[in-house]
Amino acid sequence: MDKIQMLLKQHVGAPCAPVVKVGDKVKKGTLIAEPTGLGANIFASVYGTVEEITEDRIIINPDEEQSDEYVKLEKGTPLEMIKAAGIVGMGGAGFPTAVKIDAHLDHGYILVNAAECEPGLEHNIQQIEETPEKLIAGLKYVMEIAGADKAIIAIKKKHRKAIEILDNLLKDEPAIERHLLPDIYPMGEERAVVRECLGIELEPTQLPSAANAVVINSETVCRCAEAVDEQKPSFLKNLTVRGQIKGGHDAHVFMDVPVGTSVRDLIERAGGLEEQYGEIIMGGAFTGRATTLDAPICKNTGALLVTMPFMDLKGAKMGILVCACGGNLERMQDLVKKYNGTETHVCYCKQAQEQKNGTRKCERPGNCPGQVKNNMDFKKAGCEYIIIGNCSDCSNTVMASGPKMGLKVLHQTDHACRAVDHALYRTLRVSKAVDQDLNVVDNVENN
Amino acid sequence: MSITAETAKQHANDPAVLCCRAEEGTVLDPSRFEDPAIFPDLVDSGLLNTDGALTLGQVLNGKTKLTKTCDSLTPLNADNCEGFDAAAAPAAEEVVEEAPAAVEAAPAPVAAAPVACAGGVIKLHIGEGKNIDIELPTGLGGGAVVAPVAEAAAAAPAAVAAAPVEEEKVVRELTRKHYKITEVKRGPETKIEGSVLYIREGIEAEAVESQDLVTSMKIEVITPDLYHTYSETVMDIQPIATKEDEWALGEGVTRVLDGAVTVVTGTTDEGIQIGEFGSSEGYLDENMMWNRPGAVDKGEIMIKYFVTIKNGKNMERPGPIAAHSAVDYVTAEIRNAMKKDLPEEADEVQVLQQIRRPGKKKVVVVKEIMGQGAMHDNFLFPSEPVGVLGARPNVDLGNVPVCASPLEVMDGCIHALTCIGPASKEMSRHYWREPLVLECIHDPEVDLVGVVFVGSPQANSEKFYVSNRVGQTVEMLDVDGAFVTTEGFGNNHVDFVTHIENIGKRGIPVVGMSFCANQGALVVGNKYCDAMVDNNKSMSGIENEVLACNTLCEEDAIRALAMLKARMAGEPVKAAERKYNVNVKNNNVELIDKAIGFDIELVDNEQSLPMSEKRKAKYD
Repeated sequence: MDKIQMLLKQHVGAPCAPVVKVGDKVKKGTLIAEPTGLGANIFASVYGTVEEITEDRIIINPDEEQSDEYVKLEKGTPLEMIKAAGIVGMGGAGFPTAVKIDAHLDHGYILVNAAECEPGLEHNIQQIEETPEKLIAGLKYVMEIAGADKAIIAIKKKHRKAIEILDNLLKDEPAIERHLLPDIYPMGEERAVVRECLGIELEPTQLPSAANAVVINSETVCRCAEAVDEQKPSFLKNLTVRGQIKGGHDAHVFMDVPVGTSVRDLIERAGGLEEQYGEIIMGGAFTGRATTLDAPICKNTGALLVTMPFMDLKGAKMGILVCACGGNLERMQDLVKKYNGTETHVCYCKQAQEQKNGTRKCERPGNCPGQVKNNMDFKKAGCEYIIIGNCSDCSNTVMASGPKMGLKVLHQTDHACRAVDHALYRTLRVSKAVDQDLNVVDNVENN
Repeated sequence: MSITAETAKQHANDPAVLCCRAEEGTVLDPSRFEDPAIFPDLVDSGLLNTDGALTLGQVLNGKTKLTKTCDSLTPLNADNCEGFDAAAAPAAEEVVEEAPAAVEAAPAPVAAAPVACAGGVIKLHIGEGKNIDIELPTGLGGGAVVAPVAEAAAAAPAAVAAAPVEEEKVVRELTRKHYKITEVKRGPETKIEGSVLYIREGIEAEAVESQDLVTSMKIEVITPDLYHTYSETVMDIQPIATKEDEWALGEGVTRVLDGAVTVVTGTTDEGIQIGEFGSSEGYLDENMMWNRPGAVDKGEIMIKYFVTIKNGKNMERPGPIAAHSAVDYVTAEIRNAMKKDLPEEADEVQVLQQIRRPGKKKVVVVKEIMGQGAMHDNFLFPSEPVGVLGARPNVDLGNVPVCASPLEVMDGCIHALTCIGPASKEMSRHYWREPLVLECIHDPEVDLVGVVFVGSPQANSEKFYVSNRVGQTVEMLDVDGAFVTTEGFGNNHVDFVTHIENIGKRGIPVVGMSFCANQGALVVGNKYCDAMVDNNKSMSGIENEVLACNTLCEEDAIRALAMLKARMAGEPVKAAERKYNVNVKNNNVELIDKAIGFDIELVDNEQSLPMSEKRKAKYD
C-alpha cells in the first residue's frame, strides 16, 4: 500500500493549514488540517504516522493494522456537525457543504443531484440502491438546515431499479419527490438540475439560491447523515474505477475508500492496468483530467478511468471546439498532443460564457446554440480533424454538418467511452424529454 | 448559431432553418434558428438547400410548432411544422418593393460576412414629396486640379438658395499660383528662366553626401516621348511647390510648378525594390495609372530620381527616410529658385477656400495613413509643401489622430513615405488633390469640419489604442457623419474597421472607403461596416502593381458622399453581396447618374495601358 497523501486543498476556497506535525500518530478521524478561509476540515483517513508535510499535502505512513473505529465528532446541531465533519460537494465541485446548505431558503427546494451524468460511473446509483434510507435521513437534515420544505431527487430514468427502491420509500415522504431525467449529458450540471426540476433557467452567474433552491449531490447527502447520526468526519469516498483494467471493462465500485489513497492502489484493487492504455483520467470523461499513478484521490474524486490508447494522427491538422461542458482549452490541447495532432484552430461554443475566474459556464446547458459556423471556420482553417468536448445536443449539431464538410470529428471522451463500453457522443438518438411516469416508454426516434 | 429576436426581424424574409435538433411539438422561437448570414456558404458547399423553405417571418408568429423531430440545418416547410403564417410571405414582398421609396444605397461588407467586400453606392428615388432639390457634388473633372475661383463662385448661389437660414463662412483662403514649366534641363545652377527649369549639374553628389544611408542618386528628365523608360519602383510622386514669404501650410500663397513633377524611385545597392507588397518597377508607361489624383498626369515631365540605399535598409525606417530626404535636398534648391526667379504674376491663380456651412450636416474625413514603421510612415506638416524639414513622422507621434484643415491637406501637409501595394498607395500628390476632401468642400449640403489623420500601427494593441482616440475625437467634433478612408489592405484593415466601429457605436453614421475587391477583402469586420465604398478599379479586383490604379478617385468620393448623405438621412444601405461584384458599383453609379441628370465620368483602369510582361505573367 502506498503512503496516504492528504492534499491541503480538496475543496473550493483556500488551502487548509496543517495542525499536526511530522512524527504525530494519527487515527481515522484525527483532525489534521483546518481551513484558512473558505474551506473544510481535513481528517486522517487511516491509522498511521505523519511522515512528511509539504506545501500542498500531508503524507501519512499507514499502520499495518487498521481498525474500523474512528475519532468521533463532538455532538452539536446538525449544521455544526456537518461543518465540523469537513464535508464538501462530492459530485466533483468540492464546495464546502455547510456553507452551501446554510441557505435560509424561503420555503424552498433541496434538489438532490443523482444524475451521475459522466459516462461509465456507477457508485452514486449503487449507493442509492444499497442504502436509500441513509439518503432520505441525510436529506431531511439538509432540508431542515436550509429551510426547505420540499425536496426533489433528480435521477436518470434509465436507472429503473434505484427508482423503484426510492419510490417505495417515498410513499411515506410527502415532502420528497423524484424527477426523472433523460439519458443525455449534462443533466447533472447544477443549473440543468434546477431547470429540469423547477423549470427555471438560471444565468451562468446565478446560484441555485436565485431559484430558491440548493442543489446537492446524493453521496454528499449520505455523508451528512453519517456526520450527524454516526458522528463521523468526512474521510471516505465512493468512486468508480473502470476502463482498460485487467478482467474487463465493467465498473469497479469502491465504497468508503480512505481519502488520500493513491491511484495506483485503487487500480491494483480493481485488477491492475491493461498493457495498452492511453491515459488515466481522474474524474469523469468530460470534466476530469489526466492524472498519474502516484496521485492521491480527494474528497471530491468520483472516478478513475483508464482509457483506450490514442490513435496516432501523425501530425494532422486539428481544430479544437471548447465548450463549458467538457475540458477547458488546456485539457483539449493536452488531448491534441496525445493524439499527435497539430493544433490549427480554436473555436468556442457560443454559449460557453467566460466567468470572472476564467472558467466557462454554459448559458443553456444541454441545449445547443448551433455549431455550423464553427465548423465552417475549422474548414477554412484547413483542419482535417476536430476535437470537441460538447454535450449530447451540441455534439449532435456538430455531426449534422462537420462530416459533410469533410471534418473528421473526435469527441474528448471517445477514448474513455470506448474503455467503459459507453456509446460515443455523436448523433443524438434519444429524446431530450422523458415522461415522468416510469412505465411510459419514451420516444427513441431514429432521426 | 442561434439568433436573437432582433436578428430574426432583420431576416424576416430569409429562409427559416433550424440551428439545432428540435423535437416534435416544439413551439419555435428565434433561438431555434440558424443565422441566415451564413446560408450562402452552406448552400455553396451543398450542405443546405433552402428551396421552398418558409421564411423566418412566417414561422416566428408565436404559434408555429414542429410536427416532427428535425435535426440541425433542417429548413422548415409545411411537411415538418404547422401553425405558420401563410400570409406573411406576400406581405413581406410588398415591403421590399416599397423600400426604395427614398434614398437607398448599396455597397459592401456586412458584419456577419466580414470576408465580403463590394464597392458601390447610391440610388435616389423620391416616392413622395414636392420641390425637392437634389444636389450632388459634380466634381471638378478628371479628378485633377482644384476648382478655379470662377467655378467655385458659380456654385455658391445654388448653395445659398438651398440654405437661406445661415450663411456660408469662409474660414480661410489659400492661393495657389501656378507657373507653367515646359522644359527641364541641367545647367550650372538651379534656376527658372521663363518656362524652363534648370537643375544644377552635380547636385546629386551633394544629395548623396547629405544622407549616410544613400549610396547613389541619378536624376533623369522623362518627357512624354520618353515615357517608355524602365524605372525602379516608384516610391512617391510629389508636386513641386513652395510657400511665399513666411506663410504656413494651408494659408497664404503657395507657388507650384505645372507640367513637371517629382518622381522618387529607389532600390538597395543590390537592386532590391523599396516596396513591400508588390512594387511598380518596369516601363513607366506600362506601370503608371495616369491622371489618378496621386499619379503623374499624361503629358507632364517627370523629374525622376533613382536613389540607392545601403543593402538591408529597404525594410528599416531610416532607409526610405534617407531616400526621400536626399530627393528633398534637390527639391529644396528648386523651391529656393522658385522663390527667387518666379515673377509675382503667375500663369494661373487659384483661390482655395475653406468653407463652413452652419446648419448643414457636419461631416469629418478620417484618413488612415500607414504607420507600421519600416517603409510605412508619413512626414506630417513639413514647413514647405511635401517637404521634409519641420515635419514629424506619424510613427514618432505614436500614430495618434492628428487634425488638419482641408487647406493644409491640399497644401502638401502629408509627405508620404509609404510603399505599400503600389496600386492602392496614396502618394504625396494624392493629398494635394484629395478627391473626397474636394467633394465635401464643394458640396453645399455638407459642412466639412476638417480632416483627421490617424496612423496604422503594427501591433494590434496599438491599433485599438489609436482607434479609441479616433472614436473620442470624432465624438467631440459633434459631427453628423464621418468618412473613414484607408490605403493598402490586410493588416491595416484591422484598425480601419475598428475606427468605423468606434465612430459607429457612438451613433454617428459612417462610410468606409478602401480597396477591397477580390484580393483585399476585409479580414475582419463588425456590424458598423455596412456602408462601404470600394476603391477598386482593376479589372480583376487585385493589387496589380500599377501605380495608384486602385486609389480613391472622384467617382469614389461621389459615391461615398451620396452614401453618407443617405445614411445621415436615416436611409438604409442595402447589404453587400457575398463576393466582390463590380456591378454593384456600376448600378450605383447609374442610379446617381439618373438622379443628377448626367453621367459621372469613370476613370480608366490598367486595361488602358500597354500590357507589361509582368502584368501578363502575374495578373491578367
